[in-house]
Amino acid sequence: MDPQSTLPFLLMLAWLTPLASFVAIVFFGKYMGPHGKFAGYLATLAIVTAAVLSFTALFAVWLPNYPIKASAHHGETHDAGEVAAATGEFAEPSEPAHDLDADTHHAIDPNANNESPAYVTGNWYSLGKFGKLELTIGYYIDALTVGMFCMVTLIASCVHFYALGYMHDELHEPFVDHEVTLSNGEHLHRKGRFYRFFQYLSLFCFSMLGIVIAGNLAMVFVFWELVGICSYFLIGFYIERHSASTAANKAFIVNRVGDFGMLIGMMALWASIGTFNFGDIKNDEGVAEPGLFSQLRTEANDHHLVPTESMIAEETRMFGEVAAATGEEPTKNTAGQWLLFIAGVGIFCGCVGKSAQFPLHVWLPDAMEGPTPVSALVHSATMVAAGVYLVGRFYPVFTPEALLVIAYIGSITAIIAATIAITATDIKRVLAYSTVSQLGYMMLALGLGGWVAGMFHLITHAFFKGLLFMCSGSVIHAVHTNDMTHMGGLRKKMPITAYTMLIGCLAIIGAGIPLTQIGFSGYFSKDAIIEQAWNYADKSPQHSLFLKWLPVIGAAVTAFYMFRLWYMTFAGAPRDKHRYDHAHESPRVMTTPLIVLAVFALAIGWPIFGVYDMLDQARPLGTLATAQGQLWDVVVPNELLSHEPNLKQPAAIAAITAAGTGLLLATIIYLWRLLNPDELKQSFKLLHSALWNKWYFDELYNLIFVKPVLWLGSFAAWFDRGVIDSILHGAAAICRGLSKVVDFLFDQTVVDGTVNTFASGTWGLGLWLRRLQTGNLRQYVMFIVVGTVLLFVAITFLQSYLTPTQNL
Amino acid sequence: MTLSDPAVYLSLLVFLPALAALVMAVLPNLADESYKLISLAVTIFVFILTLGFFRSGAPISFERGAAEMQNLFNVEWIPSFGIQYFMGMDGISFPLVVLTAFLSVLAMAASWPINKHVKAYCILFLLLETGMLGVFLALDFFLFYVFWEVMLLPMYFLIGVWGGPRREYAAIKFFLYTLVGSVLMLIAILMLYFNSDLTRLNATQLADAGIINIAADGDAEQALAAWQESDSPLAKKYAEIMSEANPTERRQLNTFNILALQQMGQHTDLFEGEAFLGQSIQWWAFLLLFIGFVIKVPSVPLHTWLPDAHVEAPTPISMILAGVLLKMGGYGILRICYPICPGAGYDLAYFVCFVGVLSMVYGAFAALAQKDFKRMVAYSSVSHMGYVVLGLGVWSAVADTGYNPDYWKMGANGAMFQMIAHGISSAGMFFCVGVLYDRVHHRDLDKFGGLFAKMPVYSGIAIGIFFAGLGLPGLCGFIGEVLVVLSVWKYSYVLAIISAAVVILTAGYILWAIQRVYLGAEYKGPHPEALVPMTMRELSIGVPLLAFAIFFGVYPTAMLNYMQPTIDRQIDDLAVWTQEHDERATALNPLGPQEGTLGQLSSRN
Repeated sequence: MDPQSTLPFLLMLAWLTPLASFVAIVFFGKYMGPHGKFAGYLATLAIVTAAVLSFTALFAVWLPNYPIKASAHHGETHDAGEVAAATGEFAEPSEPAHDLDADTHHAIDPNANNESPAYVTGNWYSLGKFGKLELTIGYYIDALTVGMFCMVTLIASCVHFYALGYMHDELHEPFVDHEVTLSNGEHLHRKGRFYRFFQYLSLFCFSMLGIVIAGNLAMVFVFWELVGICSYFLIGFYIERHSASTAANKAFIVNRVGDFGMLIGMMALWASIGTFNFGDIKNDEGVAEPGLFSQLRTEANDHHLVPTESMIAEETRMFGEVAAATGEEPTKNTAGQWLLFIAGVGIFCGCVGKSAQFPLHVWLPDAMEGPTPVSALVHSATMVAAGVYLVGRFYPVFTPEALLVIAYIGSITAIIAATIAITATDIKRVLAYSTVSQLGYMMLALGLGGWVAGMFHLITHAFFKGLLFMCSGSVIHAVHTNDMTHMGGLRKKMPITAYTMLIGCLAIIGAGIPLTQIGFSGYFSKDAIIEQAWNYADKSPQHSLFLKWLPVIGAAVTAFYMFRLWYMTFAGAPRDKHRYDHAHESPRVMTTPLIVLAVFALAIGWPIFGVYDMLDQARPLGTLATAQGQLWDVVVPNELLSHEPNLKQPAAIAAITAAGTGLLLATIIYLWRLLNPDELKQSFKLLHSALWNKWYFDELYNLIFVKPVLWLGSFAAWFDRGVIDSILHGAAAICRGLSKVVDFLFDQTVVDGTVNTFASGTWGLGLWLRRLQTGNLRQYVMFIVVGTVLLFVAITFLQSYLTPTQNL
Repeated sequence: MTLSDPAVYLSLLVFLPALAALVMAVLPNLADESYKLISLAVTIFVFILTLGFFRSGAPISFERGAAEMQNLFNVEWIPSFGIQYFMGMDGISFPLVVLTAFLSVLAMAASWPINKHVKAYCILFLLLETGMLGVFLALDFFLFYVFWEVMLLPMYFLIGVWGGPRREYAAIKFFLYTLVGSVLMLIAILMLYFNSDLTRLNATQLADAGIINIAADGDAEQALAAWQESDSPLAKKYAEIMSEANPTERRQLNTFNILALQQMGQHTDLFEGEAFLGQSIQWWAFLLLFIGFVIKVPSVPLHTWLPDAHVEAPTPISMILAGVLLKMGGYGILRICYPICPGAGYDLAYFVCFVGVLSMVYGAFAALAQKDFKRMVAYSSVSHMGYVVLGLGVWSAVADTGYNPDYWKMGANGAMFQMIAHGISSAGMFFCVGVLYDRVHHRDLDKFGGLFAKMPVYSGIAIGIFFAGLGLPGLCGFIGEVLVVLSVWKYSYVLAIISAAVVILTAGYILWAIQRVYLGAEYKGPHPEALVPMTMRELSIGVPLLAFAIFFGVYPTAMLNYMQPTIDRQIDDLAVWTQEHDERATALNPLGPQEGTLGQLSSRN
């Protein structure tokens, strides 16, 4: 099949099917079966259809046309995640490279470029065209797009099935919300909203797939916002709960803060390059117009990132006078680099918001107010991954300096979120912080130049985090609380949940046997990140603390809090007898997706499935070679170098040691109880309260952002009434006063005086004239004659007076 | 005298409501309901008349994709002053005319709860519609001014008689503000009139001004000669003046023709003379007109009439006020300020953009602090209309950018789109507030809550419309905002960054309002029993608004196709003008080519 036409078609169908489901449920959801039950089936059917279409696109179109092959660089040592397949041949699962040292005699050229990745791109329709500028809805499909489609639709399908069970309460009439107490002291009774939940899920899937398939930045932004609003609806699903609607608002507004940065980045690119297209799209004349990527990484520049002429011109226009004033002439190398840096960091700001990175991570934990399937789908597997996805998609545009910013943000996020997760007792919030932390790792990987490592972790994490959330939902469903201090010993009551969750925990900490091909999926992806961190620090030792050691420490913390969670929930003796007694394993419709996801969490990273290599094939052109920063000293090393044994081996050992330490510590405290957590809490009181209060971010933001903004709002409102209107009223008062004075001085004396005089004069004249009316006819005739003569004289006189020139 | 004559068709369109008002006034007293029904029928008929323009190829139609004036006609009205009954439509006015007719229908339908002096209400409402349509269609400056004033008076009474408790204050405030604007406009009109001179235009320019008609393959000079032979008073006067012996001492042939004034502003130096304080005639004319128009828009700091007027006005009048009246400001800037006074526009571009950005930011902040639902929506209008002023003003076709007009086109089209989009979303928002007010008779944002459970359909529509105001993709507000915001950087990155920041504030006040009104467990205000679902009449107002909000959000080219050719041409003309202007300046002052031009200097920072 021709991928140029079939791929867009298949993926468009996969993308639009959930939209159709959404529209149908909006209009008819209420009438779909008892309490809208069939709306759930419809939405599930839609997403399963989308999944089938996506996998068809992958297996029937993509792989036959663009088979997975080993990287063109034969010199690489094959890592735990790679498949050695003959170049140009169809992907076939093959034996992993056994001898790790065998290939090292092939030197890796750090400056060599990767091959151009295959992609299919085009436009569907135009939103508006202004001269050469055009905003469109289009597609850009490469291995990453197809892979993300499969991942998103697969996890979404699991979540839909799971939600059919989890949201079952909403089918009851009336639904009693125990978290809402009305003013009369009763709990809220309301109609179930089963269908509405699936309506939002469908819209969400449509929006998320829209981001993935988007062919240009403007379209990404459109669906970016739509995903945000779906998240708003889903977090605030329990609209009666004030905490839920507040969390929804917070999520949307914090995301908009990120979008503000994203808009800045978009504007910078728009003003300087004038296109948002990723790839080269043929115009009406059939000529391929270069998109962003090929404009910034031209063949002439050997696909290195070099600002375009138009960017340099734009930067000169912006800063020209400043530079002239300070006497700084931008040298050739740095020309346009600042603008490119601003654009990159701006776009990244959007990703910071969406992926809940420091400093905009505050919304994600609160977002756990939504129903758990939402947390699983939206806030772990897909939506928050959109930020990472965009960084990956937009990778060719990030300068090494921007990548350094990304790496630092990622690293700081990873460690901050992980530490907060240590003390949290709400099971979903632990997972939320864990998500934030893991997304930080992905950002870190991307920032370090580990494109494949980052995207690989994105895929593996989606499966095990989706699994973990759904397991936690299963627990919550059973014990009706999120609080882990009320749980314990549940593995006996709900074994499937417990052991699938254990798989998830092992996957997230990266359990595996170091230097072999045996491990959970997280083992492969996390090791790839740590290796790249080693690689980066090897070239730039000054960044070792933040970019090499912090991630390792974070790995230890991750292992600690994940197993703290598992032990507190499933191990030991029940803490709350009542809840324990009522606990039960969830129904099949919920446990089956858990098992499916557990299988993926275990195995998706395994080399024989070739996910790593498929991603490697999508690596954007020009991003493999080692890159040098122009503005300051930054080196982004070739990712292949991270597979060198001298980097790989210590990194792998460090990663597993860290995870082991964390796991051991958790076991000591929460399973063997050799140390009492409460005593620890007392001895680290200050630290504990800082962690318990999430490092006081909410309080800080409230103080420095929310309060001032509200204050400014009040000021503006006061200024209107107090100043502008006061001036108006003052002016009006002056006018009125003045008119009174005028009234008194002028109207009453002069005007009224004149009028009155005139009136009395007329009256007097009338009285006098009356005396002429004598009734004497001769007298009248005399008046007429005299009058006529006088009139004639007057007219003659006036005429000669008025036209003096003619008389001259 | 057939309907296929633009003069008849457009006159019918404009004056039918006034005629109906007159008939109603002399008719014996009828039941209140009948007046409403008659008025509704009239507004619907007018709307149908505007739909008639969509019949492509019909004798009367609006051809999509054409940039020039269509359905132009020209009748002498007061020949001694060169005043004409001169109307026509192009891509700038046509969408606004349709919007006006559309919103008039919806607003009339929303007028059913009005029970006081219904006859007078309907008469004034219809007069208002005549005024609004006339403003958008008039191409003679005097006629424009007359319609502008015609619209003012009914509005004054509609607020002052049918309004809320402080209606008189609000009505007078509205009246005085607008009157000040009108007076300034009148001064500017007279300044331009007395400095205009039709004899300075060449044949093509006269044709562009709609004064002479060139046959399809005709020659402009021949058409001019033929016109001079005709018996129109203007042509006679023109011929008479042209026959005067000494070209330098000829009398001026003054005109109110807006299109002719545009030609003079762009192609002659008639308005370049110094007027006052070292600034030219056109500089002052621009400033006076601009102030007059931004009062209407309204922009900070001339906006304080708007919240009061909206809060006091009855719902349908708020819909008209926000949906149509505010657009007249933007329309005036686009139709009159820039094309007639390009030099001043060039000088003051940064000032214009600054006013736009200030309104966006200030309006959003003020909206955040409001406790009254309607007042909050009113301030959101101030903020959203700021996008319009900003988009119109981004004069980025300058030497630095190689006179590239594309970004400015995007901004101006975005502004125009935003006008229509705001017409839909703000009318919808005011309607939504009105639905609540009709039921519970209060607008205190803190005393709502839980409406989603009680009025699910209404809440769904309302949230959709509010999201259109928030600028959510897929809804009309997004397109206008994004087109404007993306175009600004090329003009000034500082303003661009500030304007982008407004997206946060907008999300803040709209989501907060939604949370307080529609979400939550319980309704916290008085009259909970009155919260019944929407009636069919209300649905038939809310649903079309939401439907259009979605339609234009998903498929914006449906609207852009109509407006864009005209706007693009105007921007292209101004870009050419800018280049010529700079070249002239360079020729005059080769040492410092662009010094002393405010717009040039400030566009860099």
